[in-house]
Amino acid sequence: MIWKIAKKEFLLNMMTFKFAVGTILCVVLVAVFVPVLADDYQQRLQRYSQQVTDNEAKLRQVKAYRVLTPTIYRRPQVLSVFSQSKEKSLADSAKIGFGARPDFDKIPEINAGPSEVNPYLSIFPGFDFLLIFKIAMSALALLVAYDVISREKEQRTLSLMLSNRVPRAHVLLGKLLAGALTLAVPATVAFIVGLLLLQLFPLISLEASDWVRISMMYITSLIFLMAMYNVGLLFSSLTGSSSFAMILGLFLWVLFIIIVPDGSVYLARELQPVGTVEARDEQMTSVKKEFLQEWREKRSTLPRGGGANTEEGPFGGRGHWYIIVCDPAEVEYWEKGASLEVSLNVKYARKFWEVEHGYLEGLLRQTRLARNIARISPACLYDNAMGSLAGTDLADFQAWTAATRTYRETMLRYIRNKTDDLRDPSYITQCTEAERIAWAKGDESRDEAGESAAKHTSPLNLEDLPLFAYTMGITQGLQRATVDLAILLAFNVLMFSLSFVAFLKYDVR
Amino acid sequence: MFFQIVRKEILESLLSVRFALSILFTIILFAASTFFFVERYREQSEDYWRRHNENLSGFREQTDQLCNIAFYEQHIYRKPKVLSLCASGAEQRLPGHFTFDGFDIGLPQIVGQSNFTLPRFGDLDWAWIISLVLSFTVFVFAYDCVCGEREKGTLRLILAGATPRATLLLAKYAGLILTLAIPLFLGLFISMIILIASGTESVGFIRWESVVVVVLTSFLYLSIFVFLGIFVSARTSNSSNSMAALLFIWVVLLLLIPSLGRVISDRFYHAATTEEFERAKSQARKSIDDRFYAGAYGSKASGTAPNRDDPDVDPPGRARYTVDETAAINRVVDAQYNRMLAQAEAGRAFIYISPAVVYRRICEVMAGTGIDRSKSLYRQIKRYQQNLREYILSEDQGDLGSLHLLFDDKARVTGWTTISHKSVNFDTVPKFQERDLGLGESLRLAVWDIGVLALFNLVFFAAAFVSFLRYDVR
Repeated sequence: MIWKIAKKEFLLNMMTFKFAVGTILCVVLVAVFVPVLADDYQQRLQRYSQQVTDNEAKLRQVKAYRVLTPTIYRRPQVLSVFSQSKEKSLADSAKIGFGARPDFDKIPEINAGPSEVNPYLSIFPGFDFLLIFKIAMSALALLVAYDVISREKEQRTLSLMLSNRVPRAHVLLGKLLAGALTLAVPATVAFIVGLLLLQLFPLISLEASDWVRISMMYITSLIFLMAMYNVGLLFSSLTGSSSFAMILGLFLWVLFIIIVPDGSVYLARELQPVGTVEARDEQMTSVKKEFLQEWREKRSTLPRGGGANTEEGPFGGRGHWYIIVCDPAEVEYWEKGASLEVSLNVKYARKFWEVEHGYLEGLLRQTRLARNIARISPACLYDNAMGSLAGTDLADFQAWTAATRTYRETMLRYIRNKTDDLRDPSYITQCTEAERIAWAKGDESRDEAGESAAKHTSPLNLEDLPLFAYTMGITQGLQRATVDLAILLAFNVLMFSLSFVAFLKYDVR
Repeated sequence: MFFQIVRKEILESLLSVRFALSILFTIILFAASTFFFVERYREQSEDYWRRHNENLSGFREQTDQLCNIAFYEQHIYRKPKVLSLCASGAEQRLPGHFTFDGFDIGLPQIVGQSNFTLPRFGDLDWAWIISLVLSFTVFVFAYDCVCGEREKGTLRLILAGATPRATLLLAKYAGLILTLAIPLFLGLFISMIILIASGTESVGFIRWESVVVVVLTSFLYLSIFVFLGIFVSARTSNSSNSMAALLFIWVVLLLLIPSLGRVISDRFYHAATTEEFERAKSQARKSIDDRFYAGAYGSKASGTAPNRDDPDVDPPGRARYTVDETAAINRVVDAQYNRMLAQAEAGRAFIYISPAVVYRRICEVMAGTGIDRSKSLYRQIKRYQQNLREYILSEDQGDLGSLHLLFDDKARVTGWTTISHKSVNFDTVPKFQERDLGLGESLRLAVWDIGVLALFNLVFFAAAFVSFLRYDVR
């Protein structure tokens, strides 16, 4: 009987105006905007590839370990087409460096700030595939559900149905099944159209893990749509008139889709204020001063050094130079100076990071609170789960940052191994002892020494350089999405249970 | 008959659940938005005045020598406005910190308690409540105004009398607008009560004419949705279809189209990345340096000896070189700033098909907030820089020992005394003061947008009128 009711209801839904309009709207939106979103992803991917290629080319030009300061880039996630989440607004690169002299313009560790090139674009909300589901499809779910019970009462078919030996539970389960089938149609069509369009883009290749994540996204979307359907079902079971059920449902929909997401942010900002940018910058300035002070004090204990002919490293920036040729006193200086420079950089990089991290933690606490408040809305739960599955959420950014910091330490170990714990002159120069002595003599022999050193100063062999690797596994994404998915499922169960109770007591006359 | 129908419409609405819900939503939202605003405004004002005074006291210290004034790096912050309660113009997310001296200006920065990790959110202000929640409420009231009566059979009854269709349509329109006026005015009233009761000092400086324009514009905006509601209701035979169609129209017009601005901006406009911007600045500097090395500024322009009478220095040549270099870099900064704004404006121009975007822009212009304010502030600072330089040069005329050359090289300007070292009276030094647009100027800026809203009204009125005239009441 359940199946019969479901089939009848499904066929009725299929022929309604609201279903036709909702489905056409969703499919048209997907067909029009997925290519735009995919093209945007392609552009970001091209930029990323270009940056990585440039970085590799520069690595091939490194002639001293001191200027081995590559940049790590965050690869754009292909599934950002489905859920952009924080993908575009967080830092997408981190500079790895240890050896530069106190470089006061940069934070030696990771800058976790926003990556937005144009802050004026923040006036626009984001747009992705998820938005179509979150807004248009959820409205459709509500419109399909609001009259499933009350309409039958108004048409007097409910009393007719229940006068037979059909248990109420079967009626409700049939309606639920019909709702699921009805909503699965536009959802499936939208996903298929979206994926087919994605396949048309040559740079977009979906791997097996992406397909698993897309499947999870599809399931999550269905769970979300069912949550909205169950809200409609509840109101339909509670009220005797469809228009009343619709009004209640629509107001709740506005609350879930618009008011809760924005209101939660406002509430979190009131309850959990964050530090100001200026306060962070002041702290940074004081650390920089401390850094400079210690550098000056300790530097005075080093050998005086001598003259040197230097050249800028391929990665550029203030203080990023190495020596082509110098006098022996300079090498003497570097035997101890390199170690001091690196140890101070590492020490203060950590301090800078502590300030940055402290500030960032404050921001994240506020964001977490906003997110937790917003969890009363199924739309926000859906948003969170989709962001986690797409790998574009905050947690993914944090994981990438952690991987970058680990890589930084690996790089330092590599340089220490290669340079006899920074004591070897190869850290700063490739010139020979004879060239140094000749250079120290001055005049013509200096030019000769310079020419000779420049000739044999060749790029380092960095074949054994540890490579940075970061990939988000499916399990991590799933784990992060679990909480939101579980709440979304619980919301479904709760709404259906309430509908069930309401329907058991429903007066069908 | 007209007034009878209006009265009936209002009374019917007042007794409905939808009216109770809309009143509840509107009051809660207006009250919450004002509470949040008052708290934030107080904090922002304190921060603003502290920073403003710090900047002024630093500036005052420079007046012991005229030449120092131009080199003082001033920090100007966007002043919080009480009218941002009407439309905050996303200012919390826009850069509001301008750093400049007498020669150059950096790109504005974001300051304060900005949290880039938060999800993007709408500003909980009057414009947000009216544009989203009240427009939705309009549809909830209007969806069955024609087809609902048809379903109940009352439409036939009314039209069987001597009531012309036009009168009925206008009466329904008036009834809906008056019904909507209740939650709107109640919300605004509560908001104003909270604002005044909070003791916010600046309430006395509110330009009430702007508030009136915002309220009138709100009616113009809501009227579009009333006509649209009547139109769709008159095109459908049952209220359920009417609501479905209206809901999808609302979703597209108010939620989806405004979200497309970013996609469009990214797709068609490109603002230089930080690296590209820095590279452009280096190139600009290099192009001037090339001219410098080619001798365009004289052979002695490179001389930097401490004594200006040294035969190896050429202060006018050096000044020309530095001025050209500063101008070249300023051009790059200006271009980048304009490109960023153009990118945002291009996205906004595309989403102008949404009445909500047009309405919000009118509110922003009347409240003096948003991107237009950022643009105006930047222009004002550029003009102020010019005034400051003119002031320095005019004061410098009185010092016969000075070379009267002002350029962006503090070591040379002070070392060679190209500008006087005499002290100046701080009161005579121009200080930056943001000038708000007058009501006339704001209206001039908003007039096209108001025209667009009026046009929307006209189009939907015509559509509703024609549909209703042809409506089959059986």
